[in-house]
Amino acid sequence: MKPANVSSYLRSVSQVVSNQLNTGKQIAILPTKPTVHIPFTGTSPYVLSRALPNGNVSITSGPAVSCQVRWAHTDITVPDWSHYRKDSTKSPTSKAADSEDSRRNFAYLMVGGLSVGTAYGAKTLVTQFVSSMSASADVLAMAKIEIKLAEIPEGKSVTFKWRGKPLFIRHRTQSEIQAEQTVAVASLRDPQHDNERVQHPEWLVVLGVCTHLGCVPIANAGDFGGYYCPCHGSHYDASGRIRKGPAPLNLEVPQHSFVNEGLLVVG
Amino acid sequence: MGISATIYNTIFKRTSTMALAVIGSAFFFERTFDLGTDYFFDRHNEGKLWKHIKGRYQ
Repeated sequence: MKPANVSSYLRSVSQVVSNQLNTGKQIAILPTKPTVHIPFTGTSPYVLSRALPNGNVSITSGPAVSCQVRWAHTDITVPDWSHYRKDSTKSPTSKAADSEDSRRNFAYLMVGGLSVGTAYGAKTLVTQFVSSMSASADVLAMAKIEIKLAEIPEGKSVTFKWRGKPLFIRHRTQSEIQAEQTVAVASLRDPQHDNERVQHPEWLVVLGVCTHLGCVPIANAGDFGGYYCPCHGSHYDASGRIRKGPAPLNLEVPQHSFVNEGLLVVG
Repeated sequence: MGISATIYNTIFKRTSTMALAVIGSAFFFERTFDLGTDYFFDRHNEGKLWKHIKGRYQ
C-alpha cells in the first residue's frame, strides 16, 4: 500500500462510522489504476479490520511523511496500588466476609470521629454566639446595688437610682404594716396580699415608675399614705398597690434579697 | 463472632445508636479537649498569665 492512499482509506472509514447511511455508495478512490471499489457491507469489527490498514504500517517516503499511526499504549504498566490497600484484602484467595466487620468498623469510626469533632465545633460556635448576647460582666456589676438599711429611718421612703430607674425603699412603721396586712385582697384592682410583695414587713422595695404612663410617684402622699402619682392622680398604698386612679397595676417589686441584717441587695 | 462484629452490631449498625454514641463521646471529648488545650495554653505561657504572677502583687 502506498502512503498517499492511507488518508483516503481513513476518510472513507470515518464517513462510514459517523454516517451509517449509504454505506454502499462510499468508495475509497485510489489514485492508481485500476479503480478499486470497496463495498462496505457492514460496520462489524471484522469488516473494519479488513478495510483498515493493520500490521506494521510505516510510511517511509512521500510528501505526507509527517503523518503517523498511534497505537494504544499497551506498554504502560498499571501502578501497584497494594501499598494503599488493606492487608486483609490483598490476597486474591481471602474472603471479603472474613474481614468485613473490621473494615466496616474502621470506616464508621472515621465517620463517627469526624461527627464528634463537628458536634464539638458546632456546640462551641453556638455557645459563643449565644453567650455574646448575654450581659457582659461590667453590665452585670452595675445591675445590682447594695443598700445599707441602717441609713433609712422608720417611716421614710428613700429613692435610689437602679438600672436607670428610681427605686423606692420604704421603712414602714408598725401602723403601716398593720394597715396593709388587713386590706381585703378581693377589693383591690390588682389583687396581691402584702406578704406577696415584701420579704420583711418593715421593708418595702418597689420601682418608682407609675404603671400608668411611667411618671415617678411622690412618696408619703395621696389618699392611702403610700405613693401618689402627680401626672394623672394614681394613689398607691404603703405596699405599692394601686388603690385609686388610672394605673392598672401595682408598683413593680424588683428581685431583691437581704444579705444580712443591715444590707439589702437589689438586682 | 469477634469483638469487631459485636461493636458493629451494637453501635454502628443502627443510625440511632450511632448518633447516640457520637453525642455521648462528644460530651467526653469536649471535657478532655478543653482541659487539654487549657493545660497546654497555661504551660506555653508559664509566668506570663495573671494567675502565675498574682503572688507577687498580693
